[in-house]
Amino acid sequence: MRRGTNSLFSRVFTALVFLFLYAPILLLIVFSFNAGNSNIVWSGFSLNWYRELFRDRLIMQSVYTTLLVSLLATAIATAAGTFAAIGFYSLRRRQRALLNTVNNIPMMNADIVTGVAMCLFFVAFFTFWSDFAAWFNGIQGAVTLPTRLTLGFGTLLLAHVTFNIPYVILSVGPKLRQMDKNLVDAAQDLGCTWMQAFWKVILPEIKPGIVSGALTAFTMSVDDFIISYFTAGSSASTLAMTIYGMTKKRVTPKINAISTLLFVIVLLLLVAVNVREALLERRGAEGPRRSPGPVARALDTPRGRVLRRCAAGGLAACFLAAVVLLTGATNAQPVVNVCSWGEYIDEDLITQFEEETGIIVNYQTAESNEALYSLLKSGAGDYDVIVPSDYMISQLIEEDMLAELDFGNIPNYSLISQRFKGLSYDPEERYSVPYAWGTVGIIYNTSMVEEPITSWSAMFDSRYAGEVLMFRNSRDAMGIALSYLGYSLNTTDGTELREAFQLLQDAKNRGVYQSFVMDEIFQKLEGGNAAIGAYYAGDYLTMRENNEDLAFVVPEEGSNWFMDAMCVLKGAPHKEEAEAWINFIASTEANLKNMDYLWYGSPNQEALEQYPAYYEELYGEALDPEDYAIIAAPPEVLEKCEVYLVLPMEIRKLYNDLWTELGI
Amino acid sequence: MSKELIRLRDLCMAYDGELVLDHLNLYINDKEFLTLLGPSGCGKTTTLRSIGGFASPSSGDVLFDGVRINDVPPYRRQINTVFQKYALFPHLNVYENIAFGLRMQRRADPGDPSGRRKTRLPEGEIRERVMEMLEAVSLKGFENRRTDALSGGQQQRVAIARALVNRPKVLLLDEPLGALDLKLRKDMQIELKRIQQQVGITFIYVTHDQEEALTMSDTIVVMDKGTIQQIGTPEDIYNEPKNAFVADFIGESNIIDGVMVRDNLVQMYGRQFPCLDGGFSENEAVDVVIRPEDIDIVPVEQGQLTGTVTNVTFKGMQYDIIVDFRGFKWLIQTTDHSPVGARIGIKIDPDGIHVMKKSRYSGMYGDYSSFSDEYDELDVAEPEEGGDET
Repeated sequence: MRRGTNSLFSRVFTALVFLFLYAPILLLIVFSFNAGNSNIVWSGFSLNWYRELFRDRLIMQSVYTTLLVSLLATAIATAAGTFAAIGFYSLRRRQRALLNTVNNIPMMNADIVTGVAMCLFFVAFFTFWSDFAAWFNGIQGAVTLPTRLTLGFGTLLLAHVTFNIPYVILSVGPKLRQMDKNLVDAAQDLGCTWMQAFWKVILPEIKPGIVSGALTAFTMSVDDFIISYFTAGSSASTLAMTIYGMTKKRVTPKINAISTLLFVIVLLLLVAVNVREALLERRGAEGPRRSPGPVARALDTPRGRVLRRCAAGGLAACFLAAVVLLTGATNAQPVVNVCSWGEYIDEDLITQFEEETGIIVNYQTAESNEALYSLLKSGAGDYDVIVPSDYMISQLIEEDMLAELDFGNIPNYSLISQRFKGLSYDPEERYSVPYAWGTVGIIYNTSMVEEPITSWSAMFDSRYAGEVLMFRNSRDAMGIALSYLGYSLNTTDGTELREAFQLLQDAKNRGVYQSFVMDEIFQKLEGGNAAIGAYYAGDYLTMRENNEDLAFVVPEEGSNWFMDAMCVLKGAPHKEEAEAWINFIASTEANLKNMDYLWYGSPNQEALEQYPAYYEELYGEALDPEDYAIIAAPPEVLEKCEVYLVLPMEIRKLYNDLWTELGI
Repeated sequence: MSKELIRLRDLCMAYDGELVLDHLNLYINDKEFLTLLGPSGCGKTTTLRSIGGFASPSSGDVLFDGVRINDVPPYRRQINTVFQKYALFPHLNVYENIAFGLRMQRRADPGDPSGRRKTRLPEGEIRERVMEMLEAVSLKGFENRRTDALSGGQQQRVAIARALVNRPKVLLLDEPLGALDLKLRKDMQIELKRIQQQVGITFIYVTHDQEEALTMSDTIVVMDKGTIQQIGTPEDIYNEPKNAFVADFIGESNIIDGVMVRDNLVQMYGRQFPCLDGGFSENEAVDVVIRPEDIDIVPVEQGQLTGTVTNVTFKGMQYDIIVDFRGFKWLIQTTDHSPVGARIGIKIDPDGIHVMKKSRYSGMYGDYSSFSDEYDELDVAEPEEGGDET
């Protein structure tokens, strides 16, 4: 009996362990087939997101980059690592031990350190190079060296090769040590040169080590985010980077679809490798080796060998040609490197721009203003056009990081509504062209509150204890408290800030907040897991598609409204192309498309006016005026709202300290 | 023996400043079975490796057929090797292991009059030669086996076949029987000798096992500390060892300090013994070798010397008896049993006494005070020479 209960218990326990391990992945797979765009509400089976995924050029581009980098890096690292391992092997024991230790350090080192170090190194090298190239071009005229090198595919590949090599060495080394030392001598004794001995004897012996080293390297490459993030620069983006960038604005089930595909592919690979190993083992145990099949025998004749070599050479040549063409193609054409936010553009616009102008758009994404800022500061963000928010623009201007725009190249600037020109972050209209704007307000579930919400007081109300979602960033959270208290969002008065902080802390202690969130708010509100949350107006409309009970209000006390605007970085290598891009995006047509895609307000006067008609024509039904008012808040609402300005250093520090004190 | 094939001239080899081979001079005749014999670290494997081309001498020459081959890589030498632990290729079956060398061979294309174009051996010829070789080493029917599915003796024979199929002029064998058990080792000794006579080429054989050397060799080269101690036929080496080292290393020896009174008369323990050696100066101090089997036990009163039995070991064919003669212990092999503590006399015939000049080995060997230790030492498997760092 005891036995029975024990085994029942252990089965249940095992089941629980597996459930715990695989439930999240299962959920992700299920929701990748969801017809709706929610990750929490099931609205029927559909392959829509897969279709969307393959249409998404940003994702497809990054899948391609990821595969190319991973395969190339794996190939190079496997070759280099194998020869390095052989080199190590031929050393004396003490030197070998020393080198092995040196080899192991990068694997144990934190990725972030490796990434930052490589980024620094590359940037330092580029600086040195530009001086050298300038000097070299000056003293002779025969060869012109490029003076400006940038982070990109090349540095990304170098970084991947670098962090892959140790894994290859680590898995090839033991195989070499297991090998009979005399094998190489024996092969040479029987007529092999060293190189022939390597191919005919060493390689077959250490092949299992090389294969597992290559697989590890490939996995590491595909998997890597942090090191890629610091070394890819503006013109290349791996899948992991793109997915991370996508989480900034809206988490779409496209991520589920790509993740599902990745999971299935990795699963298949693993199964294939395991099945192969099992087969080999069984065959080994049976003793005699299977005689080669007819194809293998045909290939082993002299003509077959020639054929085989030609085929291998041809494949290698094709691969090389493809790489050269692909890198060459992008180099020959004019390009513009754009860094924006995830899900922040109708991608048809990119194609349209490329077709019209012949300029290739490298479209990258960052996940927040702060991340973009640190990328720029580190030298890794080598972009032409960026789309920062208002307060970040003033900070960048202050730090002299933006280029003055030549508005002669941007005639469409005249289409921008006067209301959005000369705003406080760029009062002289020299650096920026508005991209999109929106308001922050309260999104709430009408079935979960007693009366319509009109005031920020709901965010501090004990009646909704455990049902409120607050921003997980200091500026927005403090901003709400300041608005409620009637203070300016940009106040530098310590007592006012203290008071706002006290309000937040008090509410937190009373258990008002269920949690502090960013994009998790989509799931929570759509699934009815929380009643009230503060977020962006455009995102409310997305959420409402999955939950009809949701409502939005810009509280009567006023709120924050934000403007994201396009800027060109100082020293951008493609300034003209950048201005062409900005002009294109500022057009009425582009603004209409973007407004429809983003559900954020357009700064273009005509687009703003024409949108309801555009909507009706496109979808065959009239746009609800209330929704329109949410997308593009009317002037009387905007008047109550305030834009964030960059805060003085000491106030930024105070924000940080208070935030830490709050203990989020 | 026929003509000279290999000559080592003033060969020196140093690893990390340590002299492994010390001005070695040696010639090896065609079709000779020559054994390099010595304890571990004596330089025998290094000598072999410099003949094979796996080690290049620090100074001196390796000559093959009168041509200096110091810088000729192993794959261009008409020499093949049977390695310690065989070094069979684990990823190839028996057939492919043996065919390996043939597949590497290129020869002038008969269809090309200029003779510049090289061609592989035709598959048919390879098959024929491999099968022939398999037959020669009694491994017919094993061609598709994996090498790790073979016994030690079978692997050994694959290794020999793999080397011989290339029809080398010289076969180098580096302790090839070291990993086999005693019975198999004895069989393989005879087998190897048979093969050598059948193919009629030079074998250079490295071992630390003196019995193996005596059984198979035409010539034995005894080495110690990188220098040659003695070169000779097995009989020469056994019967006429040049110094205490050789006498001790080959077989069992009692080595006693003596004085050569005059030709054919040597004095030990104050007594004079007739012997057959001469050519020393009068009253020259010498080492006297007396083999344990050359000593007869006689009643005390008839003995040339008398001593006390301190240890008796039954060995099957004979007893090993340790006898104390005034503090110096002798080993005597006899079919008669004498109990421990018995006083016995011994008698040595003149041809049982071998007189050697004093050497740097004098006084180091030949005393059986620590009998069991020394006896066991000879069977201890020798570790690889030169270290694994080379």
